[in-house]
Amino acid sequence: MSYGSISREAHEALAIAMNRLGAKSNTGEGGEDPARFETLPNGDSLKSAIKQVASGRFGVTSEYLVSAREIQIKMAQGAKPGEGGQLPGHKVYPWIAKVRHSTPGVGLISPPPHHDIYSIEDLAELIHDLKNANPDARISVKLVSEVGVGTIAAGVAKAHADVILISGHDGGTGASPLSSIKHAGLPWELGIAETNQVLLMNDLRSRVVVEVDGQMKTGRDVVIGALLGAEEFGFSTAPLVTLGCVMMRACHLNTCPVGIATQDPELRKRFNGDPQSVVNFMTYVAQEAREYMAQLGFRTFEEMVGHSERLEMRRAVDHWKAHNLDFSRILFQPQLPKTTLRTCQIGQEHKLEMSLDSTTLIPLCEPALARGERVEAELPIRNVNRVVGTTLGSAVTRRYGGAGLPEDTISLRFRGTAGQSFGAFIPKGVTLTLEGDANDYLGKGLSGGKIVLFPPRESTFVAEDNVITGNVAFYGATSGEAYIRGIAGERFCVRNSGVNAVVEGVGDHGCEYMTGGRVVVIGKTGRNFAAGMSGGVAYVLDESGEGGAAGGGFERVCNKEMVQLFPLSDPEEVAEIRRLLERHVEYTASPRAKALLDEWHTTVSRFIRVVPNDYRRVMEAQARMREKGLSQDEAEMAAFDENVLDARRVAGN
Amino acid sequence: MGKPTGFMEFGREPAHVRPPLERVKDWAETHPGYEEKTLREQGARCMDCGTPYCHTGALVNGLAMGCPIHNLIPEWNDLVYRGQWREALIRLQKTNNFPEFTGRVCPAPCEGSCTLGINQPAVTIKTIENEIIERGFLEGWVVPEPPLARTGMKVAVVGSGPAGLSAAAQLNKAGHEVTVYERDDRIGGLLVYGIPNMKLDKSVVERRVKLLEAEGIHFVTGTAVGRDVEAEQLIKDFDAVVLATGSTIPRDLNVEGRELTGVHYAMDFLVANTKALLGQSATHLSAAGKNVIVIGGGDTGTDCVGTAIRQGAKSVVQLEILPKPPDTRAGDNPWPQWPKVYKLDYGQEEAAALWGADPRRYLLNTKRLIGEAGAVTTIETVEIEWIHTPGGRPEMRECPGTEKSLPADLVLIAMGFVGPEPALPTAFGCKLDHRGNIVHDDDFMTTTPGVFSAGDCSRGQSLVVWAINEGRLAARAVDRYLMFGESVLPDY
Ligand SMILES: Cc1cc2nc3c(=O)[nH]c(=O)nc-3n(C[C@H](O)[C@H](O)[C@H](O)COP(=O)(O)OP(=O)(O)OC[C@H]3O[C@@H](n4cnc5c(N)ncnc54)[C@H](O)[C@@H]3O)c2cc1C
Ligand code: SF4
Ligand code: SF4
Repeated sequence: MSYGSISREAHEALAIAMNRLGAKSNTGEGGEDPARFETLPNGDSLKSAIKQVASGRFGVTSEYLVSAREIQIKMAQGAKPGEGGQLPGHKVYPWIAKVRHSTPGVGLISPPPHHDIYSIEDLAELIHDLKNANPDARISVKLVSEVGVGTIAAGVAKAHADVILISGHDGGTGASPLSSIKHAGLPWELGIAETNQVLLMNDLRSRVVVEVDGQMKTGRDVVIGALLGAEEFGFSTAPLVTLGCVMMRACHLNTCPVGIATQDPELRKRFNGDPQSVVNFMTYVAQEAREYMAQLGFRTFEEMVGHSERLEMRRAVDHWKAHNLDFSRILFQPQLPKTTLRTCQIGQEHKLEMSLDSTTLIPLCEPALARGERVEAELPIRNVNRVVGTTLGSAVTRRYGGAGLPEDTISLRFRGTAGQSFGAFIPKGVTLTLEGDANDYLGKGLSGGKIVLFPPRESTFVAEDNVITGNVAFYGATSGEAYIRGIAGERFCVRNSGVNAVVEGVGDHGCEYMTGGRVVVIGKTGRNFAAGMSGGVAYVLDESGEGGAAGGGFERVCNKEMVQLFPLSDPEEVAEIRRLLERHVEYTASPRAKALLDEWHTTVSRFIRVVPNDYRRVMEAQARMREKGLSQDEAEMAAFDENVLDARRVAGN
Repeated sequence: MGKPTGFMEFGREPAHVRPPLERVKDWAETHPGYEEKTLREQGARCMDCGTPYCHTGALVNGLAMGCPIHNLIPEWNDLVYRGQWREALIRLQKTNNFPEFTGRVCPAPCEGSCTLGINQPAVTIKTIENEIIERGFLEGWVVPEPPLARTGMKVAVVGSGPAGLSAAAQLNKAGHEVTVYERDDRIGGLLVYGIPNMKLDKSVVERRVKLLEAEGIHFVTGTAVGRDVEAEQLIKDFDAVVLATGSTIPRDLNVEGRELTGVHYAMDFLVANTKALLGQSATHLSAAGKNVIVIGGGDTGTDCVGTAIRQGAKSVVQLEILPKPPDTRAGDNPWPQWPKVYKLDYGQEEAAALWGADPRRYLLNTKRLIGEAGAVTTIETVEIEWIHTPGGRPEMRECPGTEKSLPADLVLIAMGFVGPEPALPTAFGCKLDHRGNIVHDDDFMTTTPGVFSAGDCSRGQSLVVWAINEGRLAARAVDRYLMFGESVLPDY
């Protein structure tokens, strides 16, 4: 349940209740307003302890991650496994757009996969990245209950997740597609039983906490979950009901009459929930669970976990569907050596203390961290050095908040080959320059920092004809700058929502699902450029004259489902692109950029602006509203209202 | 909810009623119709809830929550919004045999539990219900629908109130030959002699009775079973019997002076008035020019107030033993329960228009009645308070020294009903419970095989809509009893 699918009032009420209880609320996909990180005068806190990281990576900034007690990687959603999410444009109100770093009124698509996870090794990498981004937070992985989830969970445990969440099929709000509500996923009982058995048999159970959710409602549910092997429990619908949800099933219509699943300002005023009701409800659930424990003779919760032999199938159910049921595999107890631990007691070894950040960068940058002094250094780097700069970045954010440090306060130059996720999530004030080449996930989640990449000075190849960094660079980046002298791999700037990047060529699927920022490509582009792009602008040098894209030019490789192509003409924009190219030359000494600048007049005419349709319409509407004398905020709201009624809206309808 | 945002755009437009001072001059119904546009907007206010509480029809703390007959409210609201009146009528008739009765006199528990009512005025369900059926009559869509085949089985129904009538209608639909016995001179039970004409015009009841007759139901009036026909006779002549004799014994007032003239049961007063009205002659029991005291703050009392006003009473005071209910729901009475809140019903509204104040006096008990020459002249009241002890029932306590006298020329006792007259069920050999109500099992069969019961005679004093509900369910039970366990009738 993200802020976006439910109202701010409801989301905050849940957060307050969970914080009062010492439990954890979840941001859901879609970021969190930093204003909520402050504790209220009465001691309540609106902060969500669990920060979710989903495929859309909306609002996943360094500050967001640093404020988490737990970071949850949503691999799939119980109610709709395998499907992405979407927030239709009419729900992307200005305040939602703000935390999601997107454009009000423009629909948002969460792609079905995480673009940085194609294998279990990739998941291990993401877990490691996030752990670096906040070493104090637990990393949890949310899996959907299905056949074979146990095997997946074993892999996830080996990938060093701290928590594994098994999500049952009946979770999720009424906004999920009906076909998914009815037919997708399995009940949590099946998933949790399988997960616990597989983890035990592989002696992995002691390393991870196992959590379960999916329409948990009673203490009985909790006890059954525990006996089947879970030690933590997630609730969603039931607490919402205590806040006033009437199971209206209008969640997708934005007309929730009790102000919960709506963003409509008028309807939100009707929200009448009290966090204390949630607190009371959860207290009752706990009380009921205790009563069951007492009946079963367990003194502590831990004692109870995994004792499926204490469950019995009710034989007296007289229904034809119940006749052939056999629960023996669900209640199965694997034969284990006495030494096998049945709950999480050991924990994972993340080996953070061995990272370049811990051993070198953080001590080196102490003057900057402690006093904001400038730090410059040159260091060697090797491909075993993964997520370089990320923990350093988290230390900056922890001290200086979302604003970070002044530009270039920390400026580190590396020589060599960087491992994966170089510069992930680095905040403002941190500049990483790499002379050499980079692996996949360069600048993932960039959060205000600056990344510069160019080939070794002594190299003899032509930079703009060679790949210098791997796939999925700047995935989910929210702000910052990047200058890359050379070609980037596939999915460059996928789900970028604010970074300004210059690159000399990209592979397939460039700028996919992008929602903000500017990307300047002064070289060849691969197929399917701008697929699902709903915000931001890409400027691509048309190479048709040079036989680019097999002669047909950029138009042939661009996916124009959601975007339109325009020439570059607006003087302000021209100046902006020029400034970016000048910086590119300054940082990387790119001969290609230099040549383009030298012939600026023809260069301008060769640029193609790639602009998403909805985004353009909203921007134009905002500009019109501002001309009428409205402030930026008012203009956003007015443009939003106008756009909601616009039948031409295509993205995320 | 053809219009998802209807509830945000339109406000509730309550039933249009004639102004009090105008309507007290006659005995006609208080509500003229609506404009089509307004009605459609009102239909659009329905949100087509994922969980529509309006038609749950459960009992919570003894009070109805949602429509007891499970009317398909969201469906017909939507159809009205779209202007598809005939389809709306078809949906309405699926669950309700007599929407023209409930649409007029039902206290609408549906609206009390309407989801919109959580934070806005509820959807005008009852008015829409009435408009659908009246539209149906106007357009000629409501026609007799006799069954296509007869089963050859015969069923007797005793009592022609809403329970008896709905049982008869359903049984006839299933093809059984139904005879309804009524001891009064007209068919309708409390619908004719009970609920006054301004709430439910007697021609509306007659219209329905004619339809039922045309569908093949036999009506025998002026025949009291047990007196004019023996119980054994019915058991012999019919394959099954349904008792629907209502809860007719009024609760009495045991105080000094009860025997004085001018002290009457509310029902005697109301019945006399309606009889006079239907016979177009004057009543023998008139409130004209009198100081009227109505004892009892319920709906019957309200009907007495409205009737006394129309007869030309000099003053009317209604005594209520309970405290005045709050204006908004109390903490222990949350939605979707029946809202126990202060309401100004039609009779009180009229009294207020005439004399400037709600005629109800709360927390008052009757101490004694004082008379002159055998006729009542004064009522002495005393204030009371309710003592709440945790766990126990609230107890009433008189406040000494608060005795007051009020002029009283006509005292009407409207303190509810205690149960059915025992003679008839006893004649059928049916067991009664400790309250005197007829006992029946889950299949509505009394302790005498083949004899069923429905309505107020077995559930105690309730509402027209519950009576219809029980009549329908009993009919299904009878049908199954007669047809070897199968029934063509719905289980709602
Ligand atoms: C004054 C008054 C106002 C009311 N107002 C409302 C209202 O506004 N809304 C609402 O929902 N409810 C109202 N009620 C309640 C409602 O009228 C009753 O709950 C409902 O009519 C009960 O239906 P029934 O069929 O069970 O019994 P009844 O309507 O009481 O019908 C029983 C019938 O059986 C007949 N009968 C009894 N014994 C015999 C016999 N031996 N042989 C033949 N016939 C017999 C009686 O003459 C009577 O006609 C009101 C009640 C009263 C008294
Ligand atoms: S019968 Fe009564 S409760 Fe049912 S819909 Fe009509 S007014 Fe509402
Ligand atoms: S509860 Fe009210 S709003 Fe909901 S379906 Fe029923 S009438 Fe419509």
